[in-house]
Amino acid sequence: MGQERFADVVERFASGYAEAMASGVSPEDLKQWQEELERNVKRMKNLSQMVTDPVAPKVGQTPREEIYRKNKSRLYRYASRRTHRTPLLFVPNLGISRPYIFDLLPHGSFIEYMTEQGFDFYLLDWGVFGPEDNGLSLEDCVTRILPRMAAKALETAEVDEISVLGYCMGAPLSLSFLGSRPEFPVKNFIDMAGPVDFSRVGLFGLWLDKKYFNADRFVDTLGAIPADLIKAGFKLIKPTMDLSTNLNLWWNLWNDKYVEGFTALNKWANEYVAFPGEFFRQWVRDFYQENLLFRDRLVLGGRPVHLGAIRCPVFVVGAKEDYIAPPACVRALIDAVGSRDKEYVELPGGHISLIAGRGAAVHCWPKVAGWLASRS
Amino acid sequence: MTDAASQQLFELWKRQFDEGVQAWSRLVSTSPATAPPDPAAFWKPILEQTTQAWARTFAQTPVTPDLLGQWKQFLDQSIDAWSRVLGQVMATDAFAQQLGRTLDQWLVAAAPAKKAAEQAVDGVLQSLNVASRSQLTAVARQIVELEDRIEGLEDRIAAVLKKLDEVAKAVTRQPA
Repeated sequence: MGQERFADVVERFASGYAEAMASGVSPEDLKQWQEELERNVKRMKNLSQMVTDPVAPKVGQTPREEIYRKNKSRLYRYASRRTHRTPLLFVPNLGISRPYIFDLLPHGSFIEYMTEQGFDFYLLDWGVFGPEDNGLSLEDCVTRILPRMAAKALETAEVDEISVLGYCMGAPLSLSFLGSRPEFPVKNFIDMAGPVDFSRVGLFGLWLDKKYFNADRFVDTLGAIPADLIKAGFKLIKPTMDLSTNLNLWWNLWNDKYVEGFTALNKWANEYVAFPGEFFRQWVRDFYQENLLFRDRLVLGGRPVHLGAIRCPVFVVGAKEDYIAPPACVRALIDAVGSRDKEYVELPGGHISLIAGRGAAVHCWPKVAGWLASRS
Repeated sequence: MTDAASQQLFELWKRQFDEGVQAWSRLVSTSPATAPPDPAAFWKPILEQTTQAWARTFAQTPVTPDLLGQWKQFLDQSIDAWSRVLGQVMATDAFAQQLGRTLDQWLVAAAPAKKAAEQAVDGVLQSLNVASRSQLTAVARQIVELEDRIEGLEDRIAAVLKKLDEVAKAVTRQPA
């Protein structure tokens, strides 16, 4: 065969089905071919529906009530049977993306799972900031918005202590709050994929290095950091992501359940949120470029932030293939806090795999709920 | 086809990739004094090699639906390999420097364009007697500030009420 022309091969391959049928194919092969044919028909059906009549995914369906609002930020309460007395305050990232990823779809929602486990769940939705918020700094968020929201959660839950879970950027933000206010009654702290030692934060750390990236120039020129620019940054960090996502979509396009999940996740993955200018300036300078939090040099609202002052039980979850917050920079929290009860786990998957998808429900959520349950 | 066959495909691809990288390196390291490189001369052998590799694979493989699974696996591995290669390139100082430079150049171009566009839109809106974006932003900022002040007042009132409550409790505890 060696030098056979490719066109001949394709033709032979294309006509293989007919030839195989003619030459008497085995019943197993025949069954497989029939299944494959049915899958292709379903693929075409689902593809045509996605293109011609796309169904908007119904995300964020777990019932909730708004507890408090401050400017664009909201505090939501997701009520549970409350088998655990201590409620959980969830602090996600500010900017970049919307928080409905944590309550993506029924039976595929972190919030739904935690409420089913008996935790009253308080979500801090930072909101989508506009040009009027360009002056909002990281310091404002950590010293004004976050303490107020945490206090409102305590007040609403009528408890003396609360557990705090920081996801992604939400972890260093809440650590900055707790490290500067050690008197705040936090019972447990969980860091899920939240970078702490920014000297080990991977590609973003390199690209945002002060030798190459001038945050001041960006903020002074643009005011806010537009969503499209953030999107470009996240696409660049994993350039093959769209390719493999679309390949996997095609492969699973026959599966209605997969398509439903994909549509919801894809909506979220393409809905980027801008950064308020001053917030971005401080975030890049103090965290990515100067690593002040980990170096114990961060001062917010006139108070020094000491990670060592955090003495509550701490649980840290890293993801093996996380290229946004690589495991090393997340794990660093373990050595920095002053807690005696502290634990680190590294789970398979990437940054989002901890919070959404089948892997999250299998590997991550039960671990988080289990650790918290015995301490709540 | 088995995993071994899939591995064989991947090895084949890897070899092609290595050869491609070497060819590109040769192309890039060519001194400018020599004749300009002919892209066709570079791509032709690679295309031929790829064609033959696929042809060999199909020839050795029974035509069953398993082949599609192997094909998917092969693409996954290829994408993964590309991702690793790109990751290595993007993790270099040279890339970070070039990215920073590109962004700076973009900013230099974007700043005057943004300013001109804003001025033009503001001018049009003003002539139509409609509030401009900057005016609306200023109003929104004032609302945010007002909200902060109200919140501050709420906090003070709450603190005063708490103190009053403590005083009232202390008074009721004292014997008459």
